Amino acid sequence: MNELFIIIKKELTELLRDKKTIINSIVMPTLLVPILIFGMIKVTEMISKSEQEKAIKIGLVNAPQEFTYLVKQDSLNKITTYDESIDFKSLINNETIQTAIVFPHNWKTQMDSLNSAIVQVFKNGTKDNVNNRVAKLLDTYASSIKEKRMAKLQISTEKLTPFIQKDQEVSEQKELIGKRIGGFIPYLFIIALWGGCLLAAIDLVTGEKERKTIETTLSLPVSKFKVLLGKTIVASILGFIPALLNLVGLIIGLKVIDGIPDTFKLAVDEMLNFQSITMIMLLLIPFAIFLAGLIIALIASASSFKEAQSKATPILMVIILPLVLAMMPGIDFTWKTVFIPVLNIGLGVKEIMAGTIDITMYIAMLASLITFAVAAIYFSYKKFADENAILK
Amino acid sequence: MIKLDKLTKSFTTKTGKGFKKETVLVNAVNEVSFECKPGRIFSLLGPNGAGKTTTLRMIAGIINPSSGTAIVDGIDISKGNDEVKKRIGFLTGSTGLYERLNPDETLEFFGKLYKLPKQELNDRKEYLFEKLGINEFRKKRLGQMSTGMKQKVSIARTLLHDPEVLIFDEPTSGLDVITADSIIDLIRESKQNNKTVIFSSHIMSEVDLLCDDLAIINKGSIIYNDTFENFKQEMKAENLTQEFINRVKQA
Repeated sequence: MNELFIIIKKELTELLRDKKTIINSIVMPTLLVPILIFGMIKVTEMISKSEQEKAIKIGLVNAPQEFTYLVKQDSLNKITTYDESIDFKSLINNETIQTAIVFPHNWKTQMDSLNSAIVQVFKNGTKDNVNNRVAKLLDTYASSIKEKRMAKLQISTEKLTPFIQKDQEVSEQKELIGKRIGGFIPYLFIIALWGGCLLAAIDLVTGEKERKTIETTLSLPVSKFKVLLGKTIVASILGFIPALLNLVGLIIGLKVIDGIPDTFKLAVDEMLNFQSITMIMLLLIPFAIFLAGLIIALIASASSFKEAQSKATPILMVIILPLVLAMMPGIDFTWKTVFIPVLNIGLGVKEIMAGTIDITMYIAMLASLITFAVAAIYFSYKKFADENAILK
Repeated sequence: MIKLDKLTKSFTTKTGKGFKKETVLVNAVNEVSFECKPGRIFSLLGPNGAGKTTTLRMIAGIINPSSGTAIVDGIDISKGNDEVKKRIGFLTGSTGLYERLNPDETLEFFGKLYKLPKQELNDRKEYLFEKLGINEFRKKRLGQMSTGMKQKVSIARTLLHDPEVLIFDEPTSGLDVITADSIIDLIRESKQNNKTVIFSSHIMSEVDLLCDDLAIINKGSIIYNDTFENFKQEMKAENLTQEFINRVKQA
């Protein structure tokens, strides 16, 4: 045990003196989530502000006076009136106008006789800002006509509203948001965990080969198993730390950054309490060991950083696929999914955050992750003990 | 003392392309036997790829032999791998030091794993630092040191636990003459201290300076094993290098 501790201490000291490790495993994970949240809020604000301030060029044909007046009320709407429907496609493509609204020539007659008329809108589907603003103008105009018609026909609003739907949410806000965003949280943890484990494992195994110290390490009076176990534990610590810091970053980000809706903040605050964080972190410990063991097994025979990276990268797919599945509707945390690594974390974290986790299933999931971690250590030891591979 | 008896190491290599791959068993070291005595320097000579490093790695317990036995300081390596490692000091030309640690931390790490008592570790470290002139850079990281400085730390690391057996695998390869000279001094001093010393080389001038007994290994097999004195007496070529080349070619 003492020997293992000495190896872990030395490997950790070495790794934490590497600038790359500090940046990738500590600085980046802590700052990444707050920067992402802050960036997303600011970018969304900026885009929506600039869209609102943009002038749009509208072509009108046979437009009734009331509609033209409605459009003119917003000084950002630039109107060009056309006598007849022409090649609006070309005009929109060469940006003479951005949209065209064509009313029928007999619009007044149709309206007077309370008929439905067809209004053609020429638009480019990719211009959301233009289309949304035009749709809003047409909706407002249609509502005003509807009101006039109802008044003329002496029909009250109630008569045309057979019922009013009133939703009553029975789930807690925490459960609702937990199940909705809980699927995204494991992405943060697991990708950070994978990145940390990968960099550390490559440095500890392939790096030793590149620096020509592997022979020295193997000449120590310590079993290969202890050397391997020390490296696996250190790689998993260096995977676990970024995952934890990612979570810390998320909590800090939600507390410090303005612009996040209060209801969302409150729900997330409630979800990320001491109990749920402890439960999530407990799952991540065996998972980090499992991942570190798996990566070491895969890269044991690699003789360069590049080769190791290309051998270990496919694991990312094995991780992402179950995480995507965990977010799909119809896939729930059941006795069938509780033993599938990654997928169980994805689904389990959702349940933990929503506060609906079944404790027996949680223990089963933890036990299965520990079993996978032990199997990964055994597998990596087999590879690490292969003299052909490790002294290549 | 080191005693090898028919020590063999086989490696599997894969040949072929695509899915049609064949696994071939190659003997890197084939039934090697020799004896190194305390107070004498044993040279293991051979061209590149002859099996010198593999033999020394087996003696040092870094890799396991496929068959045969090796007794190191009275212990069979197949029975007490870690015990054997505690009695060995292993040094290579590439130093093999952890570049992000400083000399102090390096010797602490090795000393603790060799299970030296705290006081003994401290005394031994101070003695070696003083003797090798490491004190002035003992807190500097190894990655920032010159090759000469690193080799001094490497020597200190090798001698820290005062091993009975010293194994030097091409210890001067790639070093400048001044650094190489410090290694040669170390080998001589180890002999004077009645240690068992084995070193591999293909530099005949070093062999001439140090060697008491020698073995020549080629393609994994021993082709000559006797005292250096007898080797010189049997020489047909004009110099040691030519004699070595002739013997390897004739084998």
